[in-house]
Amino acid sequence: MIDTDVVDFDKYRPAKLEVYAYKCPECGTLHYPVPMICKDCSARRDPSGVLFSSWEKVPLGGKCSLLSWTRLYALPEGFEDRYLLFGIVEFENGLRASGRLLVQDPKIGMKLVSKVGVVREKIGEDVYGFMFDRPG
Amino acid sequence: MIVDELEKKLRPPEMGLAPYPAKVITLASGEKMVCREVSREEAGVLLETIFPLIGVPDDFYDIVAVRMYSEILGWYRYRVANEFVIVGAIDGEIAGIVTSRCVDEKVGMSLHTLTIKRGLRVGAQLFAAKMEHHLEFLNQEEVWIVAESPIGFRRWMIEYGLENAYDRYPETHHELGGVPTYVLTKEIYNRVRDEKVTGVRPVPPELLATAECLRVPKEYPQLQRYRRGGQKRRGS
Amino acid sequence: MRKVGIVGIGHTVFGNLSEFDLVDIMSFASADALDDADIRKERKIIDQVFVANVGAGLLNHQTAIASSLVSRIDLEPAMAETVENGPASGASALKCGYTAIASGMADVVMVTGGEVMRAVTGWKATDFVATLLHPEAEYNYGLTLPAFAAMFTRLYMERYGLTEEELAMVAVKDHDNGIKNPYAHVPYTCTLEGIYGSPDANVVNNLIADPLRLYNMCPVSDGAASLVLCALDSAKMKHFKKKPPILIQGIGAATDTHCIHHRKDPLELKAVALSAERAYKMAGLGPKDISFAELHDAFVILELAISEEVGFFKKGRAREAVVQGLTRIDGKLPINTSGGLKAKGHPLGATGVSQVFELVKQLRGEAEEGRQVGNPKHGMAVNFGGFGNNVVTTICSKE
Repeated sequence: MIDTDVVDFDKYRPAKLEVYAYKCPECGTLHYPVPMICKDCSARRDPSGVLFSSWEKVPLGGKCSLLSWTRLYALPEGFEDRYLLFGIVEFENGLRASGRLLVQDPKIGMKLVSKVGVVREKIGEDVYGFMFDRPG
Repeated sequence: MIVDELEKKLRPPEMGLAPYPAKVITLASGEKMVCREVSREEAGVLLETIFPLIGVPDDFYDIVAVRMYSEILGWYRYRVANEFVIVGAIDGEIAGIVTSRCVDEKVGMSLHTLTIKRGLRVGAQLFAAKMEHHLEFLNQEEVWIVAESPIGFRRWMIEYGLENAYDRYPETHHELGGVPTYVLTKEIYNRVRDEKVTGVRPVPPELLATAECLRVPKEYPQLQRYRRGGQKRRGS
Repeated sequence: MRKVGIVGIGHTVFGNLSEFDLVDIMSFASADALDDADIRKERKIIDQVFVANVGAGLLNHQTAIASSLVSRIDLEPAMAETVENGPASGASALKCGYTAIASGMADVVMVTGGEVMRAVTGWKATDFVATLLHPEAEYNYGLTLPAFAAMFTRLYMERYGLTEEELAMVAVKDHDNGIKNPYAHVPYTCTLEGIYGSPDANVVNNLIADPLRLYNMCPVSDGAASLVLCALDSAKMKHFKKKPPILIQGIGAATDTHCIHHRKDPLELKAVALSAERAYKMAGLGPKDISFAELHDAFVILELAISEEVGFFKKGRAREAVVQGLTRIDGKLPINTSGGLKAKGHPLGATGVSQVFELVKQLRGEAEEGRQVGNPKHGMAVNFGGFGNNVVTTICSKE
């Protein structure tokens, strides 16, 4: 019998569309993006999981409110859009994130909801990230 | 002048284009640039203005200058149909030139945009004036556009959000030689018009008078990049 | 700690120098500094070279450029390293130079900053600057420095009522100074009418990252600047008789969060305040002692925000100073007498060094006509790295 645990079949499935916060194994604080030392309890992280825990991934998303935004016309190389909107939001759990804004007439403080989509195309890979839109 | 029979055979039929109403744009430096259409009588000062840039390979000035030189000569000699030329002039001195022509009532063929006075987005304003003429005063439906330089590509294809017509090749193909053609439709134009097209009409008579007699530019930043006309050399 | 003086300064024109080699450009500024210090023949008294540069590897396909520079101007066997701190590389290299002398490890140090950003297209350059953002949480989205500056500006406008007109006034002042600076990138002045008042201003001064416009941000520039430092108690000071040394009275630096969204109050630039506090402490001075300042205005909003964080004005009130003309050359507290990054240009590695070049010029009384601050005593330069996450402040004084 072949030991099926040897192969991670998730690698062949389409990527789950999530952005993850990471949970410190010692004090439970959530971090996004993930550091190598927890600023609250100083616990260490090992991405390979060999010497220390690689920390648990917790999907981040949901309802959020808009802290600030911009409509960016001068996009970097690789984008052919005339402009794109971006914003910084704060989720209900206090974590914050930057991402694409799908609302054309944003206002600071407005209530949004996050979803995950393709935010950039690179050679050989699609990059997934946050997109913020009106609820409903 | 009476045109002789053979000459008549060599001239293309003309649609007869409505004139471009002159406007004045206040540039960031506070200078006022009068944008107006030029007539064939002014071909001399235009050719003299363009000529030095034929020798400047940087930023694709050489190819744009030499092609525009031929377009203006072609127009002057009645060998190109339905062409118009618009000039931007600051106090009478030519700051930039654009050339374009109409293929038929519906389709415009944007030719070239040449900026002499750099750093003030003169090229962007004159390109917009060209499009304004095609789509608002000549009432066309779309303009075909190509770019020779990455700057042009960025300013027009990306900033206007032009429609890529490469899949309609060869029906839609720009006469400047097989390069990927992009199209500015009326719909795209209306979407970006307020961000791109500006200027005050009518031009106050005293300003219009300054642009009546066009002059060749005194300084060409392109010809002396690191010295800026020799002024303000460092002391010490 | 040993007292350190600046005894030589050099600068190239800022602008489009992409047809020249990066190290040649830096060498030119360095040689200018040698000439200014009158040690071109005695250049081997330099023990240590610090080079400030960010993009040599990514943009110019060259690495280890400190070693390259040393050979280009025949300074072997001086010690030499490159210092990279994003847009604050220049001041960081100066800080390293200062530390080398103060520690006794060197007596004479050369600090040269340079960059050739126009070797690539505009949007590659934008992408390159964006690489200083967090790779996963910020860069991947296509976010750029202008985008974050714009979000900062929008919050600042909502909180303090700053208007577009006031922002435009800062740009006009910067260009008024820059036009008299022979090294400045932008050879035009702009008028308030041209960029704000006229009916064409909306198109002529177009939005880049709402609400920031073309005339709210610095150009992409190439260029280099150089300084020669010497320990005032060193015997080698005998070489520097031509001009009085300008003291490095204080240097401070600090960091803040990498991700912009990790800052509790996104409008607070803690690293600016702390770096200035540390510099003041070392110098034994306070904000009221500063006669003039070069503040990192890669985005015009930063001139206002930084001037508040370093204690020149109360939070949200810098705009009043601008409107009253206090920050003009003939005002009470001239800011960005060189034209600032807005009019002078911003080759990343060169800027921090260029700011201190300006401090020295003003303190020596050597600024060009119409650009000289009247009798300055202490000057401050704030070099802002990342988006405020790594800031270095330098205070220079007449001896």
